Amino acid sequence: MDISRISWRVFALALSLIIVTTACGTNDPGGSAAVDPSAGAAATDAGASGSPAASPAADLSGELTVWAMGAEGTKLGTLADAFMEANPDVKVSVTPVDWGQAVAKLQTAIAGKTTPDVSQMGTDMMGQFGATGAFEPVPADIASSAYFESAWNTNMVDGVVSGVPWYVETRLLYYRKDIAEKAGITSPPATWDDLKATAKAMQEKGGAKYGIGLGTKNWQEYFPFLWSNGGDVVDASGKPTLNSPQAVEALTFYDSFFEEGLTPTTVPEGTDPATPFVTGDTPMFFSGPWHLTGVKDAGGAGFEDKWAIAPMTKKVTATSFLGGSNVVVFKNSENKDAAWAFVRFLSDPKTQALWYTTSSDLPAVQSGWEEAEVKSDPNVAMFGEQLKDTRAQPVSATWSELSSSINDTLEKMTTGDMTPQAAADEMQQNAESIGTN
Amino acid sequence: MTAPALVRRDVAGRKAGPVAPRHGWRQDLIGWSFAAPFVILFGIFLALPILASFVLSFTSFGLRDLENPIGSTVVGVQNYVDLIADPKFWKSLGNTVYFVVVGVPLTLALGLVIANALSRGITRFRTAFRVGYYLPVITSIVAIAVVWRFLLNPDVGLINMLIQSVGINGPNWLADPTLAMPSIITMAIWRNLGFAMVVFIAGMQAIPAVLYEAASIDGAGRWQSFRYVTLPMLRPAILFMLVITTIGYLQLFEEPFVMTDGGPLDATLSVTMYMYQQGFEFFHQGYASAIAYVLFVIVAIVAFLQFKFLREET
Repeated sequence: MDISRISWRVFALALSLIIVTTACGTNDPGGSAAVDPSAGAAATDAGASGSPAASPAADLSGELTVWAMGAEGTKLGTLADAFMEANPDVKVSVTPVDWGQAVAKLQTAIAGKTTPDVSQMGTDMMGQFGATGAFEPVPADIASSAYFESAWNTNMVDGVVSGVPWYVETRLLYYRKDIAEKAGITSPPATWDDLKATAKAMQEKGGAKYGIGLGTKNWQEYFPFLWSNGGDVVDASGKPTLNSPQAVEALTFYDSFFEEGLTPTTVPEGTDPATPFVTGDTPMFFSGPWHLTGVKDAGGAGFEDKWAIAPMTKKVTATSFLGGSNVVVFKNSENKDAAWAFVRFLSDPKTQALWYTTSSDLPAVQSGWEEAEVKSDPNVAMFGEQLKDTRAQPVSATWSELSSSINDTLEKMTTGDMTPQAAADEMQQNAESIGTN
Repeated sequence: MTAPALVRRDVAGRKAGPVAPRHGWRQDLIGWSFAAPFVILFGIFLALPILASFVLSFTSFGLRDLENPIGSTVVGVQNYVDLIADPKFWKSLGNTVYFVVVGVPLTLALGLVIANALSRGITRFRTAFRVGYYLPVITSIVAIAVVWRFLLNPDVGLINMLIQSVGINGPNWLADPTLAMPSIITMAIWRNLGFAMVVFIAGMQAIPAVLYEAASIDGAGRWQSFRYVTLPMLRPAILFMLVITTIGYLQLFEEPFVMTDGGPLDATLSVTMYMYQQGFEFFHQGYASAIAYVLFVIVAIVAFLQFKFLREET
């Protein structure tokens, strides 16, 4: 065939459209990684209102490259400016990294020995990247007691403290007060039995389509039930315990919401749980602090009084999931003194409070919660209360594979025919073959 | 019809080309220096990685080897042995074959129908139609994903609203294990149709008008002139599109990656997606390389068979 004979008009038009559409296309994902222009303004504010006092060591100098992901990447400039004000000889440059590319970018950097000095590291990424041996052990003078214990533990890679908690998140119950009241329920569910009864009542008497929205394939939503029932992912020696009687019971409870039609089994990919929450289709769901604004935005005016949050429901305990991010210093850093100074600065209670007002990320440092800005919002304070009873996933080099296989099994159970016992056995079998170290 | 012979002579004539110039080391040097930019780039960014991943496929290269790649353990053909026993690999291969077997013929057939309609039937707004069909080919997959997720949304999607208007409750297309792949196939066809169309239109324009005149004098109607003039003359273009589309579809990745992430219950997990998961999410780069090479062999065999059987009939 002869391409050159195609009408040139078609080609010219198509070509101009290529340029237009691809320009739009690349702008889309790139936009999230671009530096937020408002960050600069916020930085000047922060500077004016008195920068947090970091341990200022006068002899620090040189350049410091810091990687931060997603929203954190666009906002970290505020803290970097405050740090540079206290340490004028250090030049901190923040590189925002898109979450979607973070893993591949870190892999490449470690393999190519082009790591930054400091990087944000998701609590669930510690095991994978810790196993590469790229992290510098944390100096002994950074004390574990200052942080939430479960957050600190996510930094223990093969017995070595390899990072420092930066911010945390945990999950609470979001519920519709108005629908609960209509169903004759006046207080939020406190126990597992309450949770089931509330979901039923909301569906039967409250006029909601379902009782509660739960993830069909999300280990982060399943684990709080596992932990609250006295179970765990691995035992003290690191062996998986995913088919313990406690685990089977937790899975049975979790699955019962799907079996009894209290929870939708199919949710379109990428649906924000706030949407069916606002419409009343799923009047309860478990989520992190980001949904405080998420629900507010989705609900609009007049919705404020219709919902509230409540702690994780109790069985043996009322343990929730802890997530968030740590900061690590890389072995290849040529400016480790400044790097650790920056990490210490991030852990300063005042910096933690400034970061909270900048990003809404919750302080990982316990004394950060004493700061006025953090204490003022009662909803946020409830997250602070829950943080005292939280667990995180085990630190394991295979975690991404293991968690993905747990999700696969959960999906077979919640949307398919798999029984909770069979699901527990499959999770255990996969965990044993994948390995938990 | 003597039409195919015409084409062959044309191709053969072009292949013979001008008389070769006097040969010498100078010419060699000049030739190579013109080719150098491509050869160097191809070598560094394609040939070398392809070779490296072949070597990798015989190692257990993973996380702990990132800092010292030379130190990774050689495991021989273990990765390939594991692959044969891996149900998830077979599932992904089955999905990919499903996608190719259904998707390729539909893409080509629809492309052909539209190309024919646009070059011989529809005369008004022809350019607008061509652009309309070609646009998806050049649009960013991210933008497409956003639109298609809306279209396929079970509650507010256009498709289900249309179904609803005749009184049927539409399904949740992407969350249903039996419907997810057909949804992905539909989207892929829509996305790739334009390229097939452009190639076919180009091929059709190269068909001498005298053939159609002769056919119509012989009393051929529209269908007959399509069947006995257009189709045989388009054979090279169809073969080209068949091979290109099959190779492309065997590497199915973007559509499930942006739409379903391989779910639900792995119903849209393709071989390439599984390779990506193993290599870049689970850090099993050795294993992922083995998957890549198995896929490579499959693609090579399929392309070879297509050429062998279809070309000889031409």
